[in-house]
Amino acid sequence: MVKKKRSISVKLRWMLKWFLPAVLIMGGGMLLYCLYLSSQIDERFSGRRWSIPSRVFSDVTILYPGQKVNRTLFYEKLHRLGYREVFHEPHSKGEFRTLAAWVELFLHDFEVPSRRREGICVKISFVEDLIESIINLNNGEPIPILELEPEEVMLFFGHDRERRRLVSIDQVPQHVIYAILAAEDSRFYQHRGLDPLGILRALYTNLRHASIRQGGSTITQQLAKNYFLTPERTFFRKLKELFMSLTMEIMYEKNEILEIYLNEIYLGQKASEAINGIGEASFFYFDKPVEKLSQIEGATIACLIRGPNYYSPYVDKRRCKKRRNLVLYAMKDKGWILDEELGTALLAPVKAVGYESYSKKAPYFIDYLAYQLTMFYSPQDLSSLGLSIYTTLDTQVQMEAEKALQKGLVRLEKSNLTLNHQDPKKKLQGAVIVIQPKTGYILAMVGGRNHSVSQFNRITQARRQPGSAFKPFVYVSGLDKFTPASILSNETETYEVDGTIWEPQNYAPVSEKKVSVRSALAKSINLATVDLAMRIGLDHIAATANLFGFSIPANPYPSLSLGAYEVIPLNLARAYCAFAADGVLSFPLSLKKVLDENGKMLEQRHTSIKRVISPAKAFIISSMLRSVVDEGTARSLKDMGILFPVGGKTGTTNKYKDAWFVGYTPDILALVWVGFDDGSSIHASGARAALPIWAELISNLPQFVSGNWFKEPSGVVKRTVCSESGQLAIKNRCPHQVEEYFLADNVPLDYCPIHRWAQFRHMIKGVKDFVKQF
Amino acid sequence: MSNSFKSLLIFCIGGLGFVVWGCAPVISIPSSQTRWNRDIQTGEIGSAPEKPSPRAVASLQLTDQGRRLLENGNPDDAIGVFEQAINIDPTNGQNYYYLSEAWLVKENIVQAVEFNRLAAIYLEDDEEWLNQVMLQKERIIRCSR
Repeated sequence: MVKKKRSISVKLRWMLKWFLPAVLIMGGGMLLYCLYLSSQIDERFSGRRWSIPSRVFSDVTILYPGQKVNRTLFYEKLHRLGYREVFHEPHSKGEFRTLAAWVELFLHDFEVPSRRREGICVKISFVEDLIESIINLNNGEPIPILELEPEEVMLFFGHDRERRRLVSIDQVPQHVIYAILAAEDSRFYQHRGLDPLGILRALYTNLRHASIRQGGSTITQQLAKNYFLTPERTFFRKLKELFMSLTMEIMYEKNEILEIYLNEIYLGQKASEAINGIGEASFFYFDKPVEKLSQIEGATIACLIRGPNYYSPYVDKRRCKKRRNLVLYAMKDKGWILDEELGTALLAPVKAVGYESYSKKAPYFIDYLAYQLTMFYSPQDLSSLGLSIYTTLDTQVQMEAEKALQKGLVRLEKSNLTLNHQDPKKKLQGAVIVIQPKTGYILAMVGGRNHSVSQFNRITQARRQPGSAFKPFVYVSGLDKFTPASILSNETETYEVDGTIWEPQNYAPVSEKKVSVRSALAKSINLATVDLAMRIGLDHIAATANLFGFSIPANPYPSLSLGAYEVIPLNLARAYCAFAADGVLSFPLSLKKVLDENGKMLEQRHTSIKRVISPAKAFIISSMLRSVVDEGTARSLKDMGILFPVGGKTGTTNKYKDAWFVGYTPDILALVWVGFDDGSSIHASGARAALPIWAELISNLPQFVSGNWFKEPSGVVKRTVCSESGQLAIKNRCPHQVEEYFLADNVPLDYCPIHRWAQFRHMIKGVKDFVKQF
Repeated sequence: MSNSFKSLLIFCIGGLGFVVWGCAPVISIPSSQTRWNRDIQTGEIGSAPEKPSPRAVASLQLTDQGRRLLENGNPDDAIGVFEQAINIDPTNGQNYYYLSEAWLVKENIVQAVEFNRLAAIYLEDDEEWLNQVMLQKERIIRCSR
């Protein structure tokens, strides 16, 4: 007995001596570890919790009664904006129904900086391609102008390529929370991070079914695992998960943990992009904000957590329904759904709105934009700060520009097989830019044939000779001394430049020895242009050209008059904008606004303009460039269906290395370039290679064709002149009289010297002939 | 438009011109409604009635939106809306006038001058508006001193 007592006391003493300190040391160690984890958790939670990619948006699309639209492009636009075609009357946001003469459209909510509109149902009636009316179906009132929301063009992803929209726990409806708890952790509000009951229940269920049917991890454990830990299954990782869960439960309120979890969970895949968080998932599966999710939709999202791609309604609707109904039953067990609700919900089909994953949109435009954004934000910021970037891009114009260029290049290759290179890097190239001349808004930019093959942007980075497309800048330089009716020589001249002989030639034979300024530009006559340039003075031409904002300065060489100097295509398009905008040069604008994730404005860009020539000069040059289209080198535009007034200029460089066409109306300007990167000949002129691409593009954009021409500004006068002398015509004497525009301070004052004495000379000749008879 | 109404309007504009005889940021607006809107709403036929084109009507809708933003002290957003209105109808001179006004509020004289010039081109056929453009020009000159 004494021995037994002694033995107990020895054991107690041993325990006191070794076990208790060991327990205390372990406890202390655990406490220290928890403290260490808490600092890790705190650091992560107090900073940015997630990387949210910045989104780039196009400009809004404006519709109004009386507007012409390309209905095919319009419907494509609706699809890209996430609208779904239905065959019943649209009753929820994002649905539309097309009928022969109208479309009923339930608009999404519209929210851009400073403007917000609740989604309404509208009826847009058409008469062929014209919008006849837009009616608000809620109240029957006509809508004078309707804006469609900006289109998401791209996301600046980080390495993870995660899409996410953050939501607060207050935004999530209670029935959705119940569904998630029922699916994942029904005792979430009862346990402290670890749920022994849940583990036992999972163990029992899994044993009963001889397979893993349930996991025992709580929401806190799942969060710890997803947010902090690597996915491998080791004992130490599991232990760390346990400690982390306990620490998180001590540090944070239950709702805070649930909110982080709801924003963190992986819920599916959209092509290469991961759908994370319930905010993004509710749009991805149901095209609505989380606040609007129904009980059934909530249960569907909850059922995905276990296996987002396995149970996805986009993968297998039956499997998804089966799993969703399990969630609904679990809700019933907890009393979170009424019997009658359950009955209806179980029978409801699984519906998801569908999605389209797109290839890269407007990649060259985005590169150009990204270059500008890097002045303010690092690539890491762009992929993590969740900025909203609004641009001037019009996706309809962009897509048409891409299509027109592609078709045009293929057409050229088919017409001349020597142009068809098999090596993708050596293929015939082209570039298109579309600008609104008054504001400088870049609507579309196609910097090459295939962005995945070549990222070299031929609109912003190429340096090419413009050839005759440069001539308008020569002619505008001379408008103070010359008029559109002035007569130029079209005879071969030899010029000596820096000791070398230069003898320019015409592109095609022109029989006339003398031509008017208007005709010389319309027919792109080289000899007459050089004659004009020499009479104006090359220094003056170079100085004028430099006013138009070419980033490569023009030097006063004689060949400058024929465009033998390099320009960046964007600069050339911009310079032409001045002709289409009353002599005002606008800065090309692609970026409009940058907002942070809370909608606070960070950057805002506006149209910035500078006058370079008078409105009167701009009008006269436009009128001369209209002659290029009406009767000059671009007259084939008419055969391509361009019957409205257009000003434009073709350009072809030596040995057909470059083909250009720049054309504009008061509403829109587009530049097309075609050539090889290595400067090989394309064996085609601007009129043959570039102009058809322009025609195809503009034909498909009726919304930008008003058919108007420029208003005659003050400072411009009209006179009838003799086309042979360029001076005021004498009634009944000058055989070829034309009406011509002049600057008010450079009007011909003299009457035609050729025909002034024509009658008298004719009479004298008659007398002479009479006398000769004797 | 009756004579008495015309006189009243001229008196009001004159008065308004007098009131705004200061420098920015006072926004001088000839009329809260556009000329087209007045014609449409009253159905009155002026001296040279011309049915506005659909895009003119659409552009003027945006002009009104922009004007409200400007009046509410939000020139940046107003500028964006006026630019959009110009893109729809580049011949709508009121947008250039208001853009000049907005730039004046933002104290950017260079842009105010440029847009004032454009306003003068596109509003030269409208005596009432042209008068306002001239007054605006004077205000810009005063502000630039």
